Amino acid sequence: MNGTATNRRAPANPEQARQYADWIVAVAASRDRAAFARLFAHFGPRVKAYMFRFAGTQEMAEELAQESMMQVWRKAHLFDPQKAAASTWIFTIARNLRIDRLRQRKHIEVDDSDPTLIIDESPIADELVNQSEQAALIQAALGELPQDQRVVVELSFFEEISHSEIAERLKIPLGTVKSRLRLALGKMRGGLEGVA
Amino acid sequence: MNIKHHPTDETLLAYAGGALSQAMELVVATHMTLCPLCRDKVAEFEACGGAMLNVNQSLSMDSDALDHVMAMIEQESANENARVTPAEMPRRVAVGGSITGSAVPSLPTPLASLLPDNILSLEDIPWRTLAPGVKHFPLKSVQTKGTVRLLKIAPGVSIPDHGHGGHEMTLLLKGSYIDDVGRFRAGDVADLADDIDHQPIADTAEDCICLIATDAPLKFNGILPKLLQPFIGM
Repeated sequence: MNGTATNRRAPANPEQARQYADWIVAVAASRDRAAFARLFAHFGPRVKAYMFRFAGTQEMAEELAQESMMQVWRKAHLFDPQKAAASTWIFTIARNLRIDRLRQRKHIEVDDSDPTLIIDESPIADELVNQSEQAALIQAALGELPQDQRVVVELSFFEEISHSEIAERLKIPLGTVKSRLRLALGKMRGGLEGVA
Repeated sequence: MNIKHHPTDETLLAYAGGALSQAMELVVATHMTLCPLCRDKVAEFEACGGAMLNVNQSLSMDSDALDHVMAMIEQESANENARVTPAEMPRRVAVGGSITGSAVPSLPTPLASLLPDNILSLEDIPWRTLAPGVKHFPLKSVQTKGTVRLLKIAPGVSIPDHGHGGHEMTLLLKGSYIDDVGRFRAGDVADLADDIDHQPIADTAEDCICLIATDAPLKFNGILPKLLQPFIGM
C-alpha cells in the first residue's frame, strides 16, 4: 500500500481504456490471440495482486489470476463496451471468481434477462454513457484523493471486511470511516456529472 | 414501483467490492432487480473497483503463465469441438414439463434461485408459524453467520422491539409496514446498522411479506421476547 512493490500507474486516459475494450471485442469477434496476449500482459499481474490480497499465497494468487484471464477469453462475447469499461468488467470477473473459489459460493447478481427487472424509462436513462471516458475520469479522481480517503476506498475493494472492521484496523471511529468513504465516492462519482 | 428507501451507499459499495455476506447480497441483488437507481450506483462503484485494479500494484505472473493459459484454452476448444453441445437448459421448468399458470415469474431471479425449485411465487411458500400473526420460511441454502428468511406478518401485528447485534436488512416484497424509521412498501429496503432499535408494524389490510437478512442474531428488548429467542432462532 505504501508503494514498495511495483506501482506502475496506468495513465488515466480514455484512449487507453478504449484500447482495452477493443482488445476484448477482438477476442470475442475473431478469437484474436495477439489482443488476448496484450490484455493478459496488462491485466494478469493486476488481477494477481488483487487475488494475493485475499488468497495470501503466490501460488493461489497465480492460479486465480490465470483462471480469471481464462474467463476473460471464454466470456469475451458477453462483454458490452456500452455497459462497462474493460477494467470494470475484468474487476467483476476477478471478484466473482475470488468469491466462488475462496468462499465456495456464488456472488448473487441481477439477471439482465429477468422478467421482473424494472427498467428506468426516463429519457435521461436512455443517454449512452461512454464507459471508457467514465473509467478514465474515475481513475483520474482516484489519483487525486487524499491518502486518508484513498485508504478506506482501497480497503473496501481489496479486503473482505466491514466498515466497522476498517475502523478497528485504522483505529478511527466508524463515523470517520463512513464520512471519508462518502467524500471519496462523491469525488469519484462527481467527475461523472454531465458526461454522456 | 415507487421505491423510497434504498440500501445505504456504504452497503452498495460493499456489494460492489464483494465484501457483503451472501445473505446481504441476496437482499441487495433482489432490490436492485426492482431498482434501476441502485443498479446504476453499483455499476459506478464497480467502475471504481476497475479503476483501483488498474492503478494499484501488480505482481509479476509466472513466466509461462500466458502459454499455460493458451494451452488450457486450446484443450478446452478441442474438447468442445469433440462433443455435441447440449441445448441450453431452461432455467426453470414448471412441474409436469409444461408451463402452467402465470408465464411471468413473480419472484426476482436472485431470490428465486435460492428457493427450492417448486416455489415459483410468494403463494407457493410453505410458511411455518413463528409467533401469533407471524409466519416465516428460512432460506437454508444461503451462507450467513446470521439468519435469512422470508417473513409474513398479519395486518396490525408488530414484531417485538429489537436491536441488532449486527447489520440487518429487510426488503419489502408485498404489503407495507411502518416503524420508527418510516413507512415501507414493496421494493423498499430498510438498511439498519447495528445501533438502531425498531419495532415494525404491518399497517395495511393485507399481509406484509418481507425478506430479512441479519449478520448476527437480533437482540430483543423486554423479557418475553428474550425468553422466546432461543426457540424462534431470530
